[in-house]
This record gives sequence, C-alpha cells and structure tokens, in this order.
Amino acid sequence: MRETFTKGMARNIYYGGGVFFFLVLIGLTVDTVSGISKTDNRENLTEQVIAGKYLWETNDCIGCHSLLGEGAYFAPELGNVYTRFGKSTEAIKGFIKSRPKNGIPGRRSMPQFNFTDEELEQIAQFLKYTDGIKTARDWPPNVQG
Amino acid sequence: MKYESQGIAKMYFIAAIGLFVGQILFGVTMGLQYVWGDFLFPAIPFNVARMVHTNLLIVWLLFGFMGSAYFLVPEESERELYAPWLAKIMFWIFLVAGALTILGYLLVPYATLAEMTMNNLLPTMGREFLEQPTITKIGIVIVALAFLFNIGMTILTGKKTVITLVLLTGLAGLAVFFLFSFYVPDNLVLDKYFWWFVVHLWVEGVWELILASFLAYVLIKVTGVDREVIEKWLYIIIAMALISGLVGTGHHFFWIGTPDYWQWLGSIFSALEPIPFFMMTLFAFNVVNKRRRDHANKAAVLWALGTAVMAFLGAGVWGFLHTLAPVNYYTHGTQITAAHGHMAFYGAYVMVVLTMISYSMPIMRGQKAANVKAQALEMWSFWLMTVSMVFITLFLTGAGILQVYLQRYSEAPLPFMVVQDKIAIFYWLRELAGLVFLIGLLLYIYSFFAKGKEVGNIEAIAS
Amino acid sequence: MTNKFQNQQQLKNASNAALASILNLTLLPVIGFIALYSIYKKTKPHNIDHYHAVLGMKINIIAAIVLLLVTALMILLGGFDSPWTWVYVISYFTIVHTTFIMIALWVLVRSWSGDKLFNDA
Repeated sequence: MRETFTKGMARNIYYGGGVFFFLVLIGLTVDTVSGISKTDNRENLTEQVIAGKYLWETNDCIGCHSLLGEGAYFAPELGNVYTRFGKSTEAIKGFIKSRPKNGIPGRRSMPQFNFTDEELEQIAQFLKYTDGIKTARDWPPNVQG
Repeated sequence: MKYESQGIAKMYFIAAIGLFVGQILFGVTMGLQYVWGDFLFPAIPFNVARMVHTNLLIVWLLFGFMGSAYFLVPEESERELYAPWLAKIMFWIFLVAGALTILGYLLVPYATLAEMTMNNLLPTMGREFLEQPTITKIGIVIVALAFLFNIGMTILTGKKTVITLVLLTGLAGLAVFFLFSFYVPDNLVLDKYFWWFVVHLWVEGVWELILASFLAYVLIKVTGVDREVIEKWLYIIIAMALISGLVGTGHHFFWIGTPDYWQWLGSIFSALEPIPFFMMTLFAFNVVNKRRRDHANKAAVLWALGTAVMAFLGAGVWGFLHTLAPVNYYTHGTQITAAHGHMAFYGAYVMVVLTMISYSMPIMRGQKAANVKAQALEMWSFWLMTVSMVFITLFLTGAGILQVYLQRYSEAPLPFMVVQDKIAIFYWLRELAGLVFLIGLLLYIYSFFAKGKEVGNIEAIAS
Repeated sequence: MTNKFQNQQQLKNASNAALASILNLTLLPVIGFIALYSIYKKTKPHNIDHYHAVLGMKINIIAAIVLLLVTALMILLGGFDSPWTWVYVISYFTIVHTTFIMIALWVLVRSWSGDKLFNDA
C-alpha cells in the first residue's frame, strides 16, 4: 500500500486539501460575518460601550479575567457578570471602585484602577452589552460563569 | 557546519534560551500568585506577570524559529544566506524591541504604556497574547518581513527541497496571519472571531508546518533515512494539519455569539486535529526504527522523539479531551484549557526548538555532538522538564475537573472564588512541578558548559 | 532471526495485526479486536505475523483490564456523584490510554520492518 502511495500524491493532497479548506474557511467566514447581526447585540453598541471596550483593553482586564470564556482563568468570567450582579451596572461600578489599593492580605484582589465616574460607567456599559450577546445554549452554563 | 552563515543561528538560540528562563521565572511567580494571592501585589499584578510569561514564550519561540531557519535553510539550499548582515541587524532590533516591551509591561501600568505608545492612533493593545504596543507589533512585522525576505531569497535562489518549501509556506503564513492583530473591531463578536485568525491559525495551522519541517530535517540528519520517504511523510502530515486545522478553527466559535453550525463543524474538524500529531509520532518512530546509523548526538534524537510524543499528548490528546462542543460547554475557559495550553506549547513548539538547538548547537561549536557528560546532562534536563510538564498538566487537569464540577456542572453551582479555594491543593502541586521544571531548565543551560569525554567522530552503523 | 523465513504475506499480516491493535485502542474498539483475532487465526506459530497478532491481543487485553476494570473500580469505590472520582478517572484514563496507544504505535512501526518488539538477543 505504501509503495503505491507516492510522494506526488501526498503533495497533491497537501496543496489541494490546504487550498480547498482555506477557501471553505473563507466562505464560512463570509457567512458568519453576515449572519451574526442577529446575535451580536449590535443595536446596543453605543459610543459608551465602545469607550468601555477601549478601557477594557488598555487596562489588560483579559490578563486575569475571561470574557465569554477567553482570557485568563485567574479571576471570574465577566461575559455574564451583569446578570450575576443582579443586572445592575451600579453594582459593577461599586465593585471596581472599592478595590483596596494594596490588595487583600493573602488573597487575590483586583487592582485599584482609579477610574473616573465616566470611565466606570463606560466599562459597566461594555459589560452589560457583552452580557447581551446571544451565545449558543446561552453560554456560560449558569450565573456563576 | 557547511556554510558560514549558518552560524548566525547561535545568537538567536542564545537569546531564545535567555528569554525562556525569563518566561519560566514569571511562570513560577504566577503559579505562586494562584495560591498566595497578594504575592508581589500591587507591584507585579497577575495580569502583568501573565503578559510577560506568554509574550516571552511567543518571542523566544520566534527567536527559536528564526535561528532554526537560519541554520537549516543554507544547508538545504546549498548556499550561504542571502543577506547575513540583515539577519544580524534584525536580531538586535527584535531583541531590543522585545526587551523594551517587556520592561514597559513591568515598569509602568498597562494603561500608561498604551498612552505612551499612542495606542489610540491605532488601537491594538489589550487582547490576549497580542498585548504588545502597536509600535512593537509594527516592529514584529518589519522583522518578520526582513526575515522572510532573507530566507525566501536564499531558498528561491538555491536548491529547493520539500523541507524548505514547506518551511517557507509556514513562515509566510505566520507573517500574513499576524496582520489580523491590527484588526480590532468595536464589535466584540467580530473582534473575537478574527482574533483567532492569529492565534488559532498560528498554533494549529502554519506553525505546524514549521514544526513538521524542522522535525523532518533533524530526522533526516540523525537517522540517515532516505529523503524521499521523509518528504512523503512530511507532506501527508501537513496536509492533515491543514485539512483538520483550518475549519477546526470552529472549535473556538462555539460560545462567542457566532452561528450554531460552528458547533458541528468545529467539533467534527477539530476531532480530526489529533491525526497530524498521531502521524507525526508514527513518522518519528518509523524513521528512528529504520535508521541507517546511530548518530553521535543521542540527545537530539531524544528531543526529536520527545517532540513527536509530547505534541501528540499535549496538542492531540489534551486538545481532543475538551474540543467537542457538548464537553466544551462545561470546560470552556477553565483550568482544563490551561492544562492543554501548557502541554501543547511545550510538547510541540518548545520541544521542536530545543530539538533544533540540540542538533545544531554542537555543530556550530565545531563538534559533531556535545561531549558525553553534556549529553547526559541534557537528557536529564529533557526528562526533568518533560515529566514535570506532564505533572503540571495533570494537576491543572485535576483542578479543571473539580472546577467544572463545582462551578458549572453541579446542581448548586458555587462562585468562582469559592471554587478556587477548594482546588488550591492542585495549584500548590502545580507550583511544585513548575519549580522542578525550572531546575530542569537550569540544568539544560548548564549542560552547554559541562566538560567531558568527546564523542567519537565516526558514526556507528546501526545493526 | 526470523527474517529469512518471512514472506510478503506474513509481513502484511503482521502490519495488519498491529494496525488492528491500534484501531481497537482508538477508533474501533471491539471491532478492531475481532479483526485482530481473525488475522491471528490465519497465522502459524513462530512466524512474525503470529507474533504480532498475539502481541496485539495481549496489549489490548491488558489495556482493557487496566483501563476498564480499574476505571470501573474507581467509580464504584469513589461514587458516581463525587467530583474527586472524575478527577481520578479522567486523568488516569487519559494518561494510561495514551501510553497504550504509544506502545501500540511503536509495535506497528516494528511490524512494518518485520521486527519483534524487542530484538532477539
């Protein structure tokens, strides 16, 4: 069997398979990009949310937390934190604001970022928007994330 | 060493190993922060340590890939490197840019770093693994293009082999897909979707091409098995890597707001992703069994076999463990992911770079293979690092299973931090295994300086 | 040395047996074993194909005991509803299963070259 299977055939499978499945991926990408408007909660993608996303990024929140399961696993999932905090942006803001500057002895603690009230609102709105994204099977499995 | 310019690899490898040490030091720091929450807080918060840990990994692997390519390509192409001076300049640019970036992470708050580097002009910072300031990303692109030009011209104007052409495809893919790191849409779903075009299509796509070509090269050298045979294997392995891995990207599109068909596509194709790694093991076993000679560099053979086995275990088995959508529903974003990530990166990419270093470093130092004692130490370091990585993975898997059960599966799910306290024992054990890994790494470095009986220059012919 | 007595058919049987052994360990449990057994029936003692058929069956029987029996015991003793049971079961099963696959892979490679698992002294 291995004698009849030549290097040329192996090469053709590589090039043919590689190109074919790359095209499949592109096709699926086009379909996904045009199809996600129903799930991606874009109607709530306000200026405030966009500013909140920028703050999320420039403070490297993903370095400890996960968001829709992606990120670090050192701190709680935040894709559904809005629901977990009783659908209250005030509770989210209160939590971020109250982190002690020097941490909690012996425990993990979120740093104190000294956000302004405006920034706090933006971050909370971003997390609220994220919670509104319709994930398959309403992931995460429960409110604990 | 057949071509003088191959020697450029040495500086790349030394830098790679140096950054590897940094990566592990921050790794054990983070491991400790998992159980001693305020360790180094607020000076080095966890996210900073993690950024340094993962970014150093990526940078030193890139150094390793470049060094390996500079060593491999002239020999395969049967000509000197197209522009050795360019390779030297790019080395220093990359090293300085890398060092400055890491210092930036450590010395100023991340938000300040973003401001200093004018992130707002072209925001690209703050996504996992792609945390580098935009200016650094541009630097990476410049270095990658210069490298690709250098390697590409050497290959295209020299003798073309299957190994160099596959390598070139892989490296070109690496550069092209990195460009997605500049695309950060406001829409979070799109952002996440295209983020994987860098991360997944690197490690489960084009990097596998690079890995397979390095492995094929070393195996040709150390076993003397016919090139035709090895090239056929190489083609079929990378064919399977692309056939399974491209649409296999879908296993990242289960829970980020993307259409439901990804549940099926992602599950089916990523269930095929162990196949290339399975074949890689079969390939390595086969050519070592059929070797025409016993190469004096036994350590390199061990690394090559180790790469094949550990890549299968880490990327193949531990990937498959949580890749099916119904399983991933529970395991997504838990310590199971961390377990898989550790063993896959070590088993596939760390080990293949160490294989290349193991094979080429003695040659660049004017020997066929390292002396007997140095090889013995190197093989000890192989086992220390590899076994401790297996244990790191097992402990994280244990932590992950408990976490899934208590936080996700149970009828009365517990909060994240409560669960973290309950699984702390696994984090302590992981930390212990991490320290053994560090010892293994230090032993590895020491092995380069160990003096001992030289190995004979004549290869024994395999019986 | 068995080499000089080998013919193409025996080599083919040997590698098929080793392949069936891997299939039984991975994609096709039970079916793989039936295939292995039917190859075994076709072989004669002292030949390489007989050796690999027997070795394949041994590996798979040991694997079945070590994997299924021990796992069943873990679940019985630990309790189905205890998270710790699953910590042990999943870690144990994954690592030991992979080890058997690796052994069977090496055996497959040995069968291709017409060798036994260990060289005769």
